[in-house]
This record gives sequence, structure tokens and C-alpha cells, in this order.
Amino acid sequence: MTLQNDRKYTSSHEWLLDLGNGSYRVGLSDFAQNALGDIVFIDLPQPGDKITAEASLGDVESVKAVSEVLSPVSGTVTATNEALSSAPESINADPYGAWLVEVNDVTGFAELMEASAYEAFCANA
Amino acid sequence: MSELKRTLFYERHVEAGATMVDFGGWEMPIQYPDGIVTEHLATRSGCGLFDVSHMGRFRITGNDAKAFLQHVLTSNVSALDLNQAQYAIIPNENGGAIDDAYLYRFVEDAYILVVNAANAEKDWAHLSREIKAFDAQMENKSEAVALLSLQGPKSKQILSDMAEGAFLTEPVKNALGTVKLCGKTVHIAKTGYTGEPVGYEIFALREDGVFIWDELVKRGAKPIGLGARDTLRMEAGLPLYGHELGLDKDGNEIPIFAISLARFAVSFAEEKKGMIGRAPLERQFAASSRILNRDFSDLRKLPRRVRPIALTGRGVLRAGFPVYKEGKEIGYVTSGTMIPRYVVENQGSLLETFTDQKAMRSIGLALLDSDILTDDAVEVDIRGSKISAVVPAWHLRGDAPPYARPIVVDGPEEPKEKPSADLPASALNLLKKAADNHAWRQEQCINLIPSEMTASRAVRLLSGSDPSFRYAEHKRTASFYDHEVFYYQGTKFIDEVERALVAELVKYFHCTEVEARVISGQMSNVTVFSALMDYKNRLDRKHTPKRLGYILNNHIIKGGHLSAQPMGALHDYVAVDPTTERSAVVNFPVLRENLFKIDVEETKKVIERYRPEFIIFGKSMVLHKEPVREIRQFVDEMKIPTTIMYDMAHVLGLVGPHFQMPFEEGAEIVTGSTHKTFFGPQRGVIAVNYKEDELKYDLWKTIQTRAFPGAVSNHHLGTVVGLLMAAYEMNAFGDEYQKNVIANAKSFARSLKAAGLDVAGDPAISYTETHQVIVKTGYGTGPEVAERLEENNVIVNYQATPEEEGFTASGALRLGVSEMTRFGFGEKEFEQLANLIADCVLRNKPIASEVAKLRAGYTTLGYCFSDEAVNNALDALGTTSGM
Repeated sequence: MTLQNDRKYTSSHEWLLDLGNGSYRVGLSDFAQNALGDIVFIDLPQPGDKITAEASLGDVESVKAVSEVLSPVSGTVTATNEALSSAPESINADPYGAWLVEVNDVTGFAELMEASAYEAFCANA
Repeated sequence: MSELKRTLFYERHVEAGATMVDFGGWEMPIQYPDGIVTEHLATRSGCGLFDVSHMGRFRITGNDAKAFLQHVLTSNVSALDLNQAQYAIIPNENGGAIDDAYLYRFVEDAYILVVNAANAEKDWAHLSREIKAFDAQMENKSEAVALLSLQGPKSKQILSDMAEGAFLTEPVKNALGTVKLCGKTVHIAKTGYTGEPVGYEIFALREDGVFIWDELVKRGAKPIGLGARDTLRMEAGLPLYGHELGLDKDGNEIPIFAISLARFAVSFAEEKKGMIGRAPLERQFAASSRILNRDFSDLRKLPRRVRPIALTGRGVLRAGFPVYKEGKEIGYVTSGTMIPRYVVENQGSLLETFTDQKAMRSIGLALLDSDILTDDAVEVDIRGSKISAVVPAWHLRGDAPPYARPIVVDGPEEPKEKPSADLPASALNLLKKAADNHAWRQEQCINLIPSEMTASRAVRLLSGSDPSFRYAEHKRTASFYDHEVFYYQGTKFIDEVERALVAELVKYFHCTEVEARVISGQMSNVTVFSALMDYKNRLDRKHTPKRLGYILNNHIIKGGHLSAQPMGALHDYVAVDPTTERSAVVNFPVLRENLFKIDVEETKKVIERYRPEFIIFGKSMVLHKEPVREIRQFVDEMKIPTTIMYDMAHVLGLVGPHFQMPFEEGAEIVTGSTHKTFFGPQRGVIAVNYKEDELKYDLWKTIQTRAFPGAVSNHHLGTVVGLLMAAYEMNAFGDEYQKNVIANAKSFARSLKAAGLDVAGDPAISYTETHQVIVKTGYGTGPEVAERLEENNVIVNYQATPEEEGFTASGALRLGVSEMTRFGFGEKEFEQLANLIADCVLRNKPIASEVAKLRAGYTTLGYCFSDEAVNNALDALGTTSGM
């Protein structure tokens, strides 16, 4: 399992990266993509949609199953990673590069862990 | 919860990094590190290896073993010959499924039943209860026997390597064999659960299992987990118990006939009178038949059927999703996910090849109202959104081996030609193209298609001149002392021609009678089959005539001609054996060491067992003489009443001492086409050797009436005249021609071998006794190599050998020397040609211009009349007839 120290993690295996200027990126952790297996479909909100921390942000589907992505943050979606719609498998290949959405106007956060704490959490998962 | 069971391959899965899950009480690999998508594609394009040792394996023996199985399975166990397997369902009293299973017969007196892992205990309990009423025993061999599945186009080569080239199984689905793999004796079955046309299941001793697994992996087989096993079977449209069989999502029994396989897997043969659930299954069968006839008036016995479903909108199908049509709920998805496929080049053609690119599609199976039709547009409710979908005929086809081909809903359509907008221009264009084609085929190309021949100028001119536009129906009439009576005027010339033609052909065949009005070889056979059936029923005209059976012929895979197969010209004349519920046809066994040659001793056993009423010799892939004399002698000694026919289509021009004299050897009927090795235009012929005082002379008379008015009204009079000229040519030049054709074929075969090509057949006889030579190019490469040769001016057939599944998997070329022999090729020219072909096939060298140069020196047809008087007469005929 790989980790990136520049971002924080949720207990439901999303990551949140602070881009500065009040903007954030959301993605799935390496642990999440590995557990899901081959990701074959992703359903994401549109720019302008409001999202709420710890509520569903969209669905990610592998061959085996569908999983909800829980938002690590409350705010407004400013961008969606359109490349994922035709190549959802890039989340498997590069989970920390293949972001899902960008958010600003942030009003709240889910409970977040530093990389080291998340690593320990995963070890016990 | 009790501890999970592990198969003997558990350590191998863990070492390979598999994700292990609980599956029916077994700890099994759901996937390996590469993932389901990669594993799925690796099976479709290469070779997947599956641990299926969790499945239940029961061995059934005893005097009543068959009767017991007929009682507890839906299939007809009497149709299961030695070394065959069959799909079956274990029915309950309501016509629902306790499980589905596969039944194998590796030895004469024992059956192996393989059942689903999750149902094994339930099945064992049920079968143990039922077996008490029978003199039969059942043993649980699940522990003692390791079971592996090897699937995909490369599986055959991998097994073949391990078996050191030994014969695996017949190249047909459900065939079984027993071989040594790296020294370990195993049973193998040409079966599987992936839809792949080439795939095997391997039954090994437990102690050999891991060794065999390792050897398979070493040779490139890729371990595949249960995840891809599920996507592969789903794409193939195969049912999974718990989804498409058993109980539906509301807990109601799914009728067995809800799955389309039921129409093959359920038998109502006489021997299955006591089958569990027979009465409800018969009601389901009747309902299924009504539904397939689009009579939807009463769907109660079969309200829903399992259908393929493909999502056309965005999303992923999952089991349980409701399906709607025009707002009405019509069923639900039973299995579904996103499934990968390789993008192919030349989609929809024989030269289709995989690219590196993959595409995904969301497909699955659904239990839908029985009145839903193929291609109906439907909607799937995906978490509250209605997403568009369609009910296609299938997702995948396995009928073009060596691999299964995905069928996508928006696949390519056959291009349709539009009618001409400018008819004079089109007419001119056609003439130019025909001239170009003629020049190419006659001056630049070397034609090695063994079933083709260029006819002489005389034959061609006569075939086009008057009476080629005329009618000349005629029939023997008893009132006129059996003389032929013509129905038309203006027929004196053709009457004279036909009498002369019969006389020449009687002389050629050394027989008593010839019917030459049939216009093709296929029609010759249909005419004989129809006559034989009529003759069989001649003493009882008050009942529907009985069909023919048993019939002994050459299997198409062993080179048998299409026109003597149940799917070909025998179609309407062969009976169905009520015991096996299959066509009443058996095939000549062939020699293990030479699959091109009939095994006479084994054939005698088949004849004793089946006592065939009709024996058909003859092949389209033919390297050897047919053992007509031996079989005639045997049936006479055994006093087996039968009719022996030799379909000489391909070797009609070789009748004589250099090849075979069919009537001297004991054939009663010879059929053939007149344009393969014979010199004629494209027609057929029937020759018989019955004498007027024989009982079977009536069969001859019936053959004539089945020819006219049975098969022809107009018998294409121009080519009758052409055929008479061809018969004159053959009777004048045939001896020299036949001798040279056979010598050329043998030397061509030796030259091809010396040039490095893999020539099939027996080297001791220089590979062939006919005009044909078979060259192996490698499994599945035949179509590509044949196309490459055509681009280089050499025209050949790609040909499946007796080890291959069919024409799309063919790994050989069929070459014939007869036409080029007629153009003057001898051993030297065929040697030059062999070297050019080797350059093209083995080294991919362009040879087009050298072939054209070689051909340019041999454009005058021989073995025909060419003196000055004949040439002058031909010029005169050309002028008179305007040709």
C-alpha cells in the first residue's frame, strides 16, 4: 500500500488534498482501489453541485461490486475529472493522481487522519 | 460457522498473491494480483487455468447406473457414448433445478457427475436417497480426484506439448480422452464454463494435481480466479445456480425451461419415463414451444425466461435490478456487471484479429417476461434511474474456433449493394471486369484448388451454344417398351447427345447404367438419397415414409463431403434414432497413426454394431483410396443388407487402374461432380451397376424418376453437350492424365516437404494416392496463409485437418495438382512452385511476379483434341454461335 504525506484521509478511504486558495481535491486511496479491484465505472457530481461531508458524493463500481464514495468535505464542486468517465481504471493505476472532484466554498470537513494515522488504521482494518 | 475447506491448490493461490474468499464453504481465489479484467481477457486471447477442485465429483457404477441417471438427470444418458460428456440438470418434482451438472463417461461402465461446490452436500443427499431403488452405487471422489479447467485458444497447444503430441480428444465439444501429461495419466474433457470453443477440463489423481498445475503455468497458462470465471460464463450466457437456476429473487422456483439450454439438456425419450419432474417438465416444454412460435396466449407454465441483456446507456448492470418495458416491470437482472473485450481489427470477417486495446460493456442475464422478443428495447432501474438497455440474441459466439468472439449490439452490418443507376455503364464495367478476371485466373494465377478444373475450348464453346437455352424433358415410358419419350420438339440433337454421353460414361465407369441429367454433385446425392428412401418404402405407400438409418459415412472433420452429412444433402432423408435422439449416422473410424485413412478393422466393428442400411464412401479432403473392396467383402460375408455408394466427387476423373475402379471393388452406386478432376462443365452424374434382372434394378429406375421429374425439369442442355466432349476427352486421354496427376501429386508433396513445409499424411506413399496434398501451416493460420498466397497469385483452399475444430480454426492448406497438370506442369515445375510457396508461407517473401512468370509458360490446356481439323471446327462453331 502506498501513501502520500501531502494529504489527509477518511476512515472510508477517500483522500483530501488542499490546493490552497480555499480549493480542495478529492480522491480514493491506494487501499480503496486495491480492495475494490478493477474499477470499471464511476458516477460523479457535476460542477456547481453541493456536496456534504460524510454523505455520498458518487458511486465507484468494480467488476465485483458498487461502492459509495463518501465526501471528506462539505462545499461546492468546481470541477470533475472528466477523463475518468472513459478511463476509470486510471484510479487503479494512479490513485493519488486520478482525482475525482475539486471543491471550494468549503463549509465543513469529515473526520480526517494524517497519513501515519491512516496507515495504522488500515493495518487494523 | 464451520472452518472453510481448501483445495489442494490452496498454497499455489496464496503464493501467487490471490485474494481468497469464502465460496460455498471453500476458501477460493476470487482474483490474482492482475485483476478480473486482465484475467478475463487472458482467457479469451490465450489460456486461463482454473482451480475447480471445489466442485463435487460423484462416481456412479452398477448394473442400473444408467437407469438411475436417466431417473435423476434431465439429459438422455443413452446418447452418451464412451468418451463423451453431456450437460444435465438435476430436476426436482416441480420441474425446478436442484442443481446443474456435467456427466462424463471416460470408461465403459462408470459415470462421473460433477456438481456445483455450494450444492454438493445437498446433491449427495438427494442422489443417495434416490439411488436406493436401483442396483447402482455412488462414490464421492471429490477428495481423490483433482479437477482443473484450462480454457482459451492456446489451451490446446499447451496440453499438446505436455502430452508430447499425443492425441488429446476428438476436436468437438464434449469429447473425452485419456492421455499422459508429463508422464501423469489424466482424463481430459473438451468442456468448460467460459464459452470458449477450445477448452479442457482435466481430471488427475490428487497426488499429481499440483505437479500438473505447475507444468501448465510454466507453459503460459494463467491462473484465473472465481471473479473472471463469473464474467466469462456471464458473457457466454451460461446459467449459474442461485442466479438463473434454483429460486428467483422472490423465493419462487425458476422452471428449468426458463434457460435456453433446457431444450438441449432435457430429454423425454422413452427410457426417461420415470424421470423426476417429468410431467411438469413436459408442460414447460409445451409452453416453451408455444412461446418460441410467438404464441403468448398462455404463459402460466413458463412466465419468464432467462435472456441476455446489454446496457446501452451509462452504468453497470447488477443482479436484482428491475427491468421495465414501456413503463411496465417485466423482470429483473439475474447476473450483471461490466465485462471487458478486446477491440478487433477486420471485425466481422475471417481475418479478424485482436488489437491491444480493450473496451468495456455492461452486460448480463435477466429473467424477463416470456413475451419479450430479441432486440426489444427495455430499461433497467439503476438505483432510481431508468437506463436504456436491449435484449440481444447473445453476447458471445463460440462457433468460429479457435476462440469465442464477443457480439456487440452495434456491430458492423453487412454492406448492401445498391441497384445500378447507369445500366449501360454497369454492363460495360461487368464485361471489362470479367475479362480482367479471366486473364488473371487463366494466365497469371496458379490454381491449386483441387475441386476446380479449366475446361477445354471445345467444352466451353459447346456449353454455351444452342441447345443451352432449350428444354428437353424426357421420361422412360412402359407403354413404349421403356423407351425415352420427349415432351418437347426440336430435341433430336440433344437426344442423340444424351445417348452418346451415357454410352461414354458407362464405358468410363465400367458399369451398367448412368443418369447424367443431374446438374451438380450435390444434386446427384440428393437424388440417390431420395430414391433410396422411396425404394425403402415402396411396399407400403399408406404411411408416411420412413427415413434412412443407420448410415455410415465419413465425418466432415475427417474429410467427409458436405453432400453426405446430415447438415448437408442427407438432411431430409436421415432418421433420428429414438434411443439417442440424434441423427442415425455413424462415422468411419480412422487410424490413430494416420487420421486421413479409414481403419478397416474398426469399421467392421461399427458395421456389426449398427448394421447400416447405407454406406457412403468418399471425401473432399482425400489422400487415400477408400477401402471399398474390404467393406464389400465383409458385408457380404456377414450377410448385412446394405447399399454401398461411393461419392467420387473429388476423384471422378481418377476412376481407373491408377486410382480406383469402384464397381470392380463392389460399389453399387457412384455419384460425383464432373468438373473437379473430371474434364467437364459443372454438372453431376450418377452411375450404378445394377443389372436388369436384379431386384435392385428397381432402385435404379427410382433414381431416374427422382432425377426427372424429382430434381430437374430443365437439365441445362448446353453443358450436357459440353460434358459429352469432356467424356470423349477423358476416354481418349484419361489414362495418361491420371498417371501424371498422381505422379505429380506425390512429387509435389515430396518437394513441399523438402522445401521445409509440414506435409500431412504417410511419407511411405509420398503422402498421397490422389491429386491432393495437405500442408499444415499451424493451428488457426490457414485462412491468413491462404489469403497471403492469393495476393501472390497462388490460389488454394484453407483446410481444417482431422485434429482441428472447423474451417475457422483450420491450420492447413489443401492443394490439388490436376488443373496445372492439364496445363503441362510436371515434376520440375511443381518443384519450382513448392519452393516459391515455401518462400511465401515460411518466410513471407513476395512471390507474385515469379508465380506469374512460371504460369506464363503453361497456358495451353492439354489432354484434349487439338489437331488442325478440330481447331478449324472450333473456329467455325465459334463463328456460327457468335462466340
